[in-house]
Amino acid sequence: MLTPIPHEFAIGGVYVPPLLVASLFGALAALLTTKLLNRYRLSNYFFYPPLVSLALVILYTLCIGTFIIGI
Amino acid sequence: MILSTKTKEAIKTALAMTIAYGIALSLDWDRPYWAGFAVAMVSLATVGQSMNKAALRMFGTLVAMVMSLTLIALFSQERWLFMLFLSAYMGFCCYMMSGSQRAYFWQVAAFVCVVIAMDAGADSVNAFQTAILRAQETGLGILVYTLVAIFLWPSRSTAAFTAAANDLAATQLQFYRACLDLARGKGSTQEAHRLSEQQVQHKTRFDQLLEAAETDSYEVWELRRPWRRYQQQAGELMHALERWRESFSEVHTLDLQRLLPGLDAFGAALDGRLAQIGELLAGQAPEPVPQVVDLTLDKDAMRSLSHFDQASVVVARAGMRHLEQVTSALFEAASEIKVPGKATALPDAPRAPSKLFVLDLDRLANVVRFVAILWLAWLAVIYVNDIPGGTGLVSMAGSIGIAIANMPQLPVSKLFVPVSTGVLFAAVLYIFIMPTLSSFIGLGVLIFAATFVICYLFADPRQMLGRAFGLAMFVTIASITNEQSYNFLSVANTAMMFPVIFMIFAISAYIPVSPRPQRAFLRLLGRFFRSSAYLMSAMRWDPPHPVTRLERWKKAFHAREVATLPAKLGTWAPHIDAATLSGTAPRQVQTLVTSLQSLTYRMQHLLEERDTPQAQFLVKELFEEFRAWRLGMQAVLQELADDPAGAQGSALRARLDSVLERLEEKIKSALNKTVEGQFSDQDAEEFYRLLGAYRGVSEALVDYARNADAIDWAPWHEERFA
Repeated sequence: MLTPIPHEFAIGGVYVPPLLVASLFGALAALLTTKLLNRYRLSNYFFYPPLVSLALVILYTLCIGTFIIGI
Repeated sequence: MILSTKTKEAIKTALAMTIAYGIALSLDWDRPYWAGFAVAMVSLATVGQSMNKAALRMFGTLVAMVMSLTLIALFSQERWLFMLFLSAYMGFCCYMMSGSQRAYFWQVAAFVCVVIAMDAGADSVNAFQTAILRAQETGLGILVYTLVAIFLWPSRSTAAFTAAANDLAATQLQFYRACLDLARGKGSTQEAHRLSEQQVQHKTRFDQLLEAAETDSYEVWELRRPWRRYQQQAGELMHALERWRESFSEVHTLDLQRLLPGLDAFGAALDGRLAQIGELLAGQAPEPVPQVVDLTLDKDAMRSLSHFDQASVVVARAGMRHLEQVTSALFEAASEIKVPGKATALPDAPRAPSKLFVLDLDRLANVVRFVAILWLAWLAVIYVNDIPGGTGLVSMAGSIGIAIANMPQLPVSKLFVPVSTGVLFAAVLYIFIMPTLSSFIGLGVLIFAATFVICYLFADPRQMLGRAFGLAMFVTIASITNEQSYNFLSVANTAMMFPVIFMIFAISAYIPVSPRPQRAFLRLLGRFFRSSAYLMSAMRWDPPHPVTRLERWKKAFHAREVATLPAKLGTWAPHIDAATLSGTAPRQVQTLVTSLQSLTYRMQHLLEERDTPQAQFLVKELFEEFRAWRLGMQAVLQELADDPAGAQGSALRARLDSVLERLEEKIKSALNKTVEGQFSDQDAEEFYRLLGAYRGVSEALVDYARNADAIDWAPWHEERFA
């Protein structure tokens, strides 16, 4: 399976590291997920939601970084 | 052209900032932005307030200087020991900060120490120069701002302080009238509650302005001792009125005017006295102090009441007598201030006996969080290569962290907007405007304009966070020096440092316990009832035995918990998100907190009364009944500690009524056995006061249970993402 080639993002001549972009999107995706879990009261099924949030940020960052951005 | 106060204050701060930078640059001092920081942080609404804050900043800086140099000298080659002792010192400052009137001193003493220590590294020469530079630039900033504030549109605290003193006196008079109406069975409890809250607000403002007025007004400084006595007595009156009000719930069905024939005259006398205090403070000529009518009980009318009702009347009367003493002392203090020549006639109030030192768990939790922030930042610097900010990360995390740790109610997310706006604003100036400047004239105009805009837009005290971050980011990112260089990376690194800092703040906030307001509220409720249960168990009528130091300490600890927790719960209550708690209205939470405050007053009253000696034959006769009553309350409190909704109001009411009925019979039979002279009036009063205190706690508990019943607690226990 082919994965994206790691590359930096050039924004107005400023090179932004791919991990930073991946973590930004990872945090946003985790935020969206936790909002949905709250909305449908599924948050009640987790023992300690803050740790779940942290785990989601890491998982999303790794997934986005590995399969979409390439880090 | 008439300028608004907001504009004048912004001009003063901007001018002081520009002059401070100008002097520091002309003297070729390194890091002139430290002078700018000092100006930005000490500028407040009046000269007195600014000078007080400036003095705290200066003394804090000096202490931090000595401490940082000592730590560097001792542990320059031992980074772990260095950090261990640094964090211990900073943890101590953090603990002291949250309980001190000089909070800013402790805050500065902590964060300046970490700033010097991290900035200097382990180089002793560099450390000494850095520490001296920090102290002299802080002094420069303070001196410049003070001179500007004194000579340009000086704004003294005297007028605001006089208004605050008048407002406090007027509110206390109104609150007294509202309480008296309640005692007579008239008036509204809502109005009394509103006035009670207003009284607390006016007292807080009076306290703040007294300190400022002492600094910038010679007249207030000359009379500072009488003013301090007045402040103390006004605080006493506030508590006396609150406790008196709490005693009404048991007497509102009784005809107090028949039981206390002098009630109207007594009420009018106290009313007149409080009105005179207001007139005195307003500068009107004093009139003679009205004679106070004694509150004699109508013995015939009293005999027609049950023993519990008699006890309630005795408690209410004791509250009024206490009020009489407090208002008398308050009148004396006001006379000292306003009647010429009287100020030196009265001796100083006796010094309060020293209290046992007891730990405050919440302050300790703040310390743990702050030390965790420091260590996380420190470990990140050591173990993550090229982390943005380097050792500056520890300085920044320590500087902001000490404030954040002491405000656990403030979510980390509230910092995003002020910080990102501040960084963006400063970055635009640094990248696009500063490189075009070539002399101090242009730079001075830029510093003035940027400071003016920030101070003008964030002038409201509620926007303090935006103002502080705006100025701090401008000063940090601009990094103005004589040999100015421009580097995009320095802006990018500063900006990137903040996500790391926010992550550290979030980790320290959420691990190990959730800071969600409803969770914190439940935890504090549990602690309140556990401490109440302990105090109840400590009230047993045991044969006399020596009290150990540990027992005294435990009692003092739980008494402090019970005294302070309702106020802490009150600070969390407005942060509870009612939208996520179906079945709970904000008003219900506020009522619950009020009922807990009432329970606190009743517990304190019971603790005081429990220590008064009682007639031995009554103790012997009623020992078993009182014991059963105490154990019953203890069990209920323990249940509530495990589950705040664990007691049903109606069931408790029924239990209490049956206890009262049984005890009433028992007291009657005990008193029938007495022989002439065995039960004096003094014995009767002391016994009724104790009886009233026991009943007061029970009634307050029933009231709490009724309010707790009205709340749906299930959603409070649900887990949610922040």
